[in-house]
Amino acid sequence: MSASRAARATGVGVWLAAIRRDRKATAGAALLALFVLIAIVGPWLVGDPQALVGIPLQPPSPQHWLGTTGQGQDVLAQLVVGTRVSLAIGLAVGVAVVLVGALVGITAGFFGGRVDGLLSLLFNVFLVIPGLPLAIVIAAYLPAGPLTLGMVLVVTGWAWNARVVRAQTLAQRRRDFVAAAIVTGESNVRIITREILPTMTSLLVAQAIGSTVYAIGAQVGLEFLGLGDVSAVTWGTNLYWAQNDAALLTGAWWTFAPTGLCVALVGFGLTMLNSGVDEVANPRLQQERTWRAYLERRGATPSRSTPVVVDRD
Amino acid sequence: MRPRAPAHPAARVAVLLLAFTGLACGRDRPPAPHGVLVVSQEQQASWSRNFNPLTTATAARWPTLAGVYEPLLVFNSVRSEYVPWLAIAHQWRDGNLTLRMTTRDSVLWSDGRPFTARDVAFTFGLLKRFPALDRRGVWGFLSGVRALDDRTVEFRFQREFIPGFDELAAQQIVPEHVWSKVADPVAFPNENPVATGPFTEVRVFRNQVYELGRNPRYWQHGLPRVEVLRFPAYPSNDRANLALVFDEVDWAGNFIPAIDRVYVGREPKFHRYWFPLTGSSIFLYPNTTHAPFDDARVRKALSMAIDRELLVDVALYRYSRPADATGLSDAYAAWRSSAVAARGDWVRHEVARANALLDSAGCRRGADGVRRAPDGTPLRYDILTVSGWSDWVRAAQVIARGLGAVGVEASVKTYDFSAWFQRVQEGRFDLSLGWSFEGPTPYLFYRWLMSSATVKPVGEASMGNWQRYGSPAADRALAAFEHEADPARQKVLAEELQRIFVEEAPAIPLYPNPSWAEYSTRRFEGFPSREDPFADPSPNKFDRGECLLVLTSLTPR
Amino acid sequence: MRFLLRRLGLYALAAWVALTLNFFLPRLMPGDPATALFARFRGRLGPEALQALRETFGLTDAPLLGQYFIYIAHVFRGDLGISIAYFPASVSQVIGTGLVWTVFLAGSAVGISFAVGTLLGLASAWWRRGAMDTWLPSALVFVGAFPYFWLAMVALYVFGFLLGWFPLGHAYADDVVPEFSLSFLVDVARHAVLPVGTMVLATLGGWLLSMRNSMIAVLGSDYVNLARAKGLPPSQVALRYAGRNALLPSVTGFGMALGYVLGGSLLTEIVFSYPGQGYLLVQAVRNQDYPLMQGIFLVITLAVLGANWLVDLAYLWLDPRIRESTS
Repeated sequence: MSASRAARATGVGVWLAAIRRDRKATAGAALLALFVLIAIVGPWLVGDPQALVGIPLQPPSPQHWLGTTGQGQDVLAQLVVGTRVSLAIGLAVGVAVVLVGALVGITAGFFGGRVDGLLSLLFNVFLVIPGLPLAIVIAAYLPAGPLTLGMVLVVTGWAWNARVVRAQTLAQRRRDFVAAAIVTGESNVRIITREILPTMTSLLVAQAIGSTVYAIGAQVGLEFLGLGDVSAVTWGTNLYWAQNDAALLTGAWWTFAPTGLCVALVGFGLTMLNSGVDEVANPRLQQERTWRAYLERRGATPSRSTPVVVDRD
Repeated sequence: MRPRAPAHPAARVAVLLLAFTGLACGRDRPPAPHGVLVVSQEQQASWSRNFNPLTTATAARWPTLAGVYEPLLVFNSVRSEYVPWLAIAHQWRDGNLTLRMTTRDSVLWSDGRPFTARDVAFTFGLLKRFPALDRRGVWGFLSGVRALDDRTVEFRFQREFIPGFDELAAQQIVPEHVWSKVADPVAFPNENPVATGPFTEVRVFRNQVYELGRNPRYWQHGLPRVEVLRFPAYPSNDRANLALVFDEVDWAGNFIPAIDRVYVGREPKFHRYWFPLTGSSIFLYPNTTHAPFDDARVRKALSMAIDRELLVDVALYRYSRPADATGLSDAYAAWRSSAVAARGDWVRHEVARANALLDSAGCRRGADGVRRAPDGTPLRYDILTVSGWSDWVRAAQVIARGLGAVGVEASVKTYDFSAWFQRVQEGRFDLSLGWSFEGPTPYLFYRWLMSSATVKPVGEASMGNWQRYGSPAADRALAAFEHEADPARQKVLAEELQRIFVEEAPAIPLYPNPSWAEYSTRRFEGFPSREDPFADPSPNKFDRGECLLVLTSLTPR
Repeated sequence: MRFLLRRLGLYALAAWVALTLNFFLPRLMPGDPATALFARFRGRLGPEALQALRETFGLTDAPLLGQYFIYIAHVFRGDLGISIAYFPASVSQVIGTGLVWTVFLAGSAVGISFAVGTLLGLASAWWRRGAMDTWLPSALVFVGAFPYFWLAMVALYVFGFLLGWFPLGHAYADDVVPEFSLSFLVDVARHAVLPVGTMVLATLGGWLLSMRNSMIAVLGSDYVNLARAKGLPPSQVALRYAGRNALLPSVTGFGMALGYVLGGSLLTEIVFSYPGQGYLLVQAVRNQDYPLMQGIFLVITLAVLGANWLVDLAYLWLDPRIRESTS
């Protein structure tokens, strides 16, 4: 079975089916949906996160479910409003990183030659320069804010995607139908958008999810260092202020524990979701599953070792 | 089929866990040895060895200015008085154009050579030759310095300038026989200092800790009783506070939130703090170069809209008090006139009067509730603060709410320090938080708040007077101050300055900064305290030598 | 050999890009270091001090390009300039022994995490759908989703602050003299448990999954089946046949992970006031200490490039195909 046809048949339905089939992916998707919901409607349900509503550093109580910060603000309100900003930045950067990566990767892989050499060199260089220190240095010199942060994360995060996409493009380019399209004189843009891109949908989706995880983590890290806009309410700045208000010293675990947990839950949800995407993206896993189902229908237990269905193409 | 594969991972995990618990050995954190005082004042990720008292204050390690080296006179900010130190007497002559200081006899440098007035003259000569060392700008008013004999040094002034004494008194003195051989004193790290102070011997210097031992030839015989000063490097306040709470640090000068619970509560018998309000006063600066802030009524109204009680609660955990209308901190307690302060009622939180004042100034409310200046522009402003300075950010938030209540729409805007400083210095702001200047007399303080001489045009960087307010009345009083050496007459002039400030409200005082000081009496006694306020307890008070008073009073238990 | 040379060329280019970025970035932004230094004093320094500071640093207005060439020339001589915040100490003095600690922290974290994670992944794939395989990967992925520094904060809070089992920070106790002795090494290990532990915990999941997935793929291949059919002992099949080949993708990732973990270690160092480069870098950035910032960034980059080079050597040893195709 050719991967290209499988991918061409991919539609939203296939994705949903894949997610539903995989228990982990279902859980991940549910978790993510919950957070997206919180991000969308949450801020209307809680009060102004910056309002000074009570005595600083109060532990959780019926009045303030997650207690108050070192400044006397409601932790829950900050968490919820922070969810919106952090998720928005995370998703936007995730998509942007993939777009840049895909653009560079496809250009390099498709056109080959000197273009490829130059672009490959570029992303290989960016791959070996340590990202976080570079991000710290760049972020420190741009005006603090979500846009800066997003830009910094894209600059330090696109290279890996470009590399993978390039390899995939090279593989696709060698295929018969692409060669045929080139011979029949179809335009490059058309070949790329019609023939090559569709085969990579699942790869790109998986990359977008992975990049989102990276973006959220890196964003929280940079903001924790005070390199974001500290007057904004995001997960990272919440942690920054918790540290600034000596959360450890005062034993105010409620000022940093929920935020960390949320970051982890979103990251976890995304990773789990990715395993569902993997099912679509990775035909091998899919075939194995069919095989297991086949055996089970016949009342046979699959052996502990991996069933072998080798795809030779 | 059950394959026999590598040792079960559970076994590896168990081994790891065993190692983990093996390395964790109980709660015992051995205290520092007897006589070793652990101090945390600078927060740095790692130490660099520099004991040069003349170069930029940040480069040299903390004890350099008040511990290794010593100033001519120490200023006690709690008592508002000078303590004779390397100089024991002074005398103005020639119509206040010459100042003679008598240096202390029998002081030895730590290498055994005698300290003389020639070292003093040499030190000031260095400042002249290398302007980068002249941190206090003394050569802006001096014309010459020479030693008349081993015990007398004479300063000649370009003009009559009495406040210059404060800058001369605070100067640390270096030995001529060492520094005359240094080619570039600006870049000289002075790794093995020769000095007159109580602690001169570098015993240990590593990137995460260093130690100073006693000066064997210290001029105050039998002192110091502390044997060794130890300085662990902590990258942030937070880490330093953690060490302080666990008694790994004996003396620190940090901000600690909820200190009664966090620090005192942990060891009520030993953990103490005293935060005298002798720090720099914090102001809200309105840019008086444009309307409506050029109107004193508007400035006073803004001031009345601020709930300072809430502000010190929220921003400072009640460690400070609302400022009075003179703006003077407790460091000027001896200068402050309570009568004048009482007349300044515009620092009280009175929304109704603020509204009335704004109305009378022609700033009427628009349909949206936001006031309009007489020319019709809505009163919408940013309050500038520095990102990361949490007390300021919170204070600004409280102010913004207060202003909102009287129809002035203000939003808090945080900038990185450099960006903030640049804007404030160049006068490109509407409202901004800011500090004020400290000195032994209110001269410097008021000079940088309302002297016409300090007003620079918008766009040109100014070190102070960011609100760009010049008062002719204040100019006269300040000029008189420069010629007045008599303390009683100085006091009258200081009162006049306060009266002018309260009348004209050039800036909006918020609160005096506390001088941070925490200490544990478990291992040492003799710290200044509310009960025994012999000096400022904070290790941050090094610029005018005050820490020396504490360092020479401590006794190991 | 050509493979190694090509990689070396890439690293040289990367180093140059880092250097160039490093030089131009801070200079295109506003602000000067003397003012930033002033920040620390919040009014405790008199207004005259700022002018003195500016004079001290001799802030220059020379053309940028000229400064750039001078900078490059100096770097080649190993002269990273004078730190501004630590004036007059040179950058190499300030960085000094700190780098050793960062490399130690990141190196041992990556090493332990790679070894343990890979073994767990191998086992997980071998006993696929076994008890461990069902919960361990998910659990570790979950733990790995927490930010490094957050795990570090929690570990410090619980094991350092509440239980008091471990020191609250630093690389060794203030009383201990750094020397090659057992007591010093034990002390260093004691101080390293929490920072290294949290970093290992945060990265374990990635290695496990990477190894597990590639192991599953390899276990399905013909030569492994052949090896099994031949009746080779399972341990030999698992380690020699499958494991070695399954390791390749992880090794490729190793070099990348080093840079990543080094970044994470900067954050972890800050939480534990570890005397490495982490806080130094952040402080340098805040103080606009260009030379120090450039120095640290350069040194970190070079360390990562060096580590990548070592990984390339390992790769060459593991994958004979490269050796044959390029020789």
